[in-house]
Amino acid sequence: MIQRLLPFLTLIVLFVGLSVGSPHFLTVNNLSSVVRQTAVFNIMALGMTMIIICGGIDLSVGSMLAMAGLLGTMAMSKGVAIPVGVFIGLLAGMACGFLNGFLTTRLKINPFIVTLGTLGILRGVALIVSNGLPVHDIPKSFSFLGEGVLLGVPFVLWILLVCAVIVHVILEHTKLGRYAFAIGSNPEAALYAGINVNFITTVIYTIGGMLTGLAGMIEASRLMTGQPTAGQGYELQAIAAVVIGGGSLRGGEGSVVGTLVGAFIMGLLANGSDLLGISPYVQQAIIGAVIILAVAVDELRKRRVGT
Amino acid sequence: MLLQLRGIQKRFGGITALRSGDLDVPAGQVHLLMGENGAGKSTLMKIVAGMYSADAGEMLWNRQRVTFRKPADASAIGIAMVHQESLLASHLTVAENIFLGRAPSLGFGIVDRRRMIDQASRLIAEHGFPLQPDWRVERLSPAGKQLVEICRAIQHGSSLLIFDEPTSSLSEAETGEVFRIVRTLRDRGMGVIYITHRLDELRAVGERVTILRDGATVHSCAISDLPREELIRHMVGREVSAVYRRDPVPPGPVRLRVEGLSRSPLLKDISLSIRAGEIAGMAGLVGAGRTELCRCLFGLDPIDAGRVEVDGRGVRIRTPRDAVAAGVALVPEDRQRAGLARDLRVGHNMTIAHLDCVSRLGFVGADAEREVTSQFIRKLRIRTEGPQMLAGRLSGGNQQKLVIAKWLLRQARVFLFDEPTRGIDVGAKVEVFETMDELARSGAAVLMVSSELPELLQVADRILVMRQGRLVGELPGQTTQEAIMHLAAQEPAT
Repeated sequence: MIQRLLPFLTLIVLFVGLSVGSPHFLTVNNLSSVVRQTAVFNIMALGMTMIIICGGIDLSVGSMLAMAGLLGTMAMSKGVAIPVGVFIGLLAGMACGFLNGFLTTRLKINPFIVTLGTLGILRGVALIVSNGLPVHDIPKSFSFLGEGVLLGVPFVLWILLVCAVIVHVILEHTKLGRYAFAIGSNPEAALYAGINVNFITTVIYTIGGMLTGLAGMIEASRLMTGQPTAGQGYELQAIAAVVIGGGSLRGGEGSVVGTLVGAFIMGLLANGSDLLGISPYVQQAIIGAVIILAVAVDELRKRRVGT
Repeated sequence: MLLQLRGIQKRFGGITALRSGDLDVPAGQVHLLMGENGAGKSTLMKIVAGMYSADAGEMLWNRQRVTFRKPADASAIGIAMVHQESLLASHLTVAENIFLGRAPSLGFGIVDRRRMIDQASRLIAEHGFPLQPDWRVERLSPAGKQLVEICRAIQHGSSLLIFDEPTSSLSEAETGEVFRIVRTLRDRGMGVIYITHRLDELRAVGERVTILRDGATVHSCAISDLPREELIRHMVGREVSAVYRRDPVPPGPVRLRVEGLSRSPLLKDISLSIRAGEIAGMAGLVGAGRTELCRCLFGLDPIDAGRVEVDGRGVRIRTPRDAVAAGVALVPEDRQRAGLARDLRVGHNMTIAHLDCVSRLGFVGADAEREVTSQFIRKLRIRTEGPQMLAGRLSGGNQQKLVIAKWLLRQARVFLFDEPTRGIDVGAKVEVFETMDELARSGAAVLMVSSELPELLQVADRILVMRQGRLVGELPGQTTQEAIMHLAAQEPAT
């Protein structure tokens, strides 16, 4: 039981430790910035949680995020209303997610390979359509999505909470979620039970893509540009958050709460190292070590429970 | 005395796998270890092989106390195990596997391939095994893989060899071959421990038997002193009739009708029909096309020609989803691989094929689900801590009942059972038969594919026989094994 709670305890220890260790940590300004920084890959990580539970993986989310942000801002620069622009971003994400799901299930290729391929393809397409140049002429009020405040709390935190609740409900209380766990646990048994494995898998990838599209629009709003080069390396952050939170790359395991805790642990580690003056070089090493440690502890727990 | 075990105990988390394991094996003896699934046979042997460490108890090897921390400790003093699922490196050759970890060396870590292959050839020739040193292990049959494991044990100079249900995946001829090898090893002075479920293997191979029940040794004696009924009583702990007899019910309307079903090259022009209330048995040799027929009827493989009707309506079954929608259920031969998800809860496994019955608008109702799963757990007498328990922790018989429960809940009307009693112990077998009988009584049509002829004769109302992809005959339920084999094995007239 203690081991199951370990990620949670780690988060609390980090929080308390940083509060004591740095006078700048426990300020509205700093905490808001942690939330804003974390929210983008936190939302991506929610989609990744569903995909990993379903026995898949998506390495292309970084490129997908750039693609969605770029298409959304390009539409706005052409005079489309802000909500429509955001919707276009979500749609772009969904289309990319659908492509990943479709290729994985129809061509029967391992998702690691498929999404490694689309990681390159999507990045390339984003660079081609933008000619490698960022989009700048975006309406000023678009910045509310990423930087705004609602009821005294960063707007992105509300978005994150709503997404987290929705994904949690999908996973724990709907047929779709149950099928995702079943497919991730044993795809063959799921097929034998009459589940439409290809369809469900594709739906999961598509929802994951939509969340990545949303993250892409938030990122674009924070930077106030549509960057074809945005989001590089984010896929590893998202996967790390899921894994630290107890998700298994073998499929069938993972939870929204775990992923949120995992993402915030990574966010606090980055923020804390900044505040304590630890170099970004060391930061990277620390985060890497935490990933290995988290998975090692989880494996130990499973070995003790299982026969 | 080669090996002595005294009061071995082992717990996994909250579950006691072994309470008191006792066993004595002298050199030059074949010692059978029997017991129901979950009795602790495999756990006890894995402790002997150093794969688990005991929580309490004593292990003596040639009267010296020993403790093993890892499998290498056990193999170093001469204990080897032939596993149910092969533990070989499948991409390596036979010779490389025989010498895995102990290959003759030229120094500097370079393997002396020539010497390795020479020694392997000599070993294989000496025992007359149908193997070649340069064959890749992945191409071997299950029996061939076991032979490689046996070679490895001999090569390592083992003096005690443990077989974990070696014949469960073998044909009759291969089984005979395993028996012959076991006897040869015994005559050379090795001790052999042989785990099995199958009562008929008893006298064929062993001299002494030890019976485990609920994690404890309950009886040990010479096999010739032990009548069959008493053996079953020791295994099950209560009186069980080893002979189950089904009373047929008057059959109802035709549930399943198959006409001219073909799939090249395996299935040729198969026509059959099964009525409500009927259990139709299906016999045939391995490779006759029985499993392939089940796969086609369940939409796992496409058919080239033919017509399938369920309840008089023609259905096109191209995916398992179509089959399930048409009311056809498959209880597959390999439960662990295809029947259930081990890491999913018992309850979730049970409702997965029919979540609609506990859902509204796509949301699963937790209360409704708990109620319906508890009801089916009671109805089928599934021994579990509750719907929350992980399915992988159920015993084989209870896993089988869980798979059946899943289809009962789906209200399937045609049940295809492919080897329903494989890997299931005596007590649970009868319960599976009873469940099949209840299915038929409630109006389902049941097709039971089995290689266990005595079981077919006990359960089936009539027996269909397949040979080389064709349905070659039908026999009444009161036929004999000889009549079935005669049909199944006959060479086609040329």
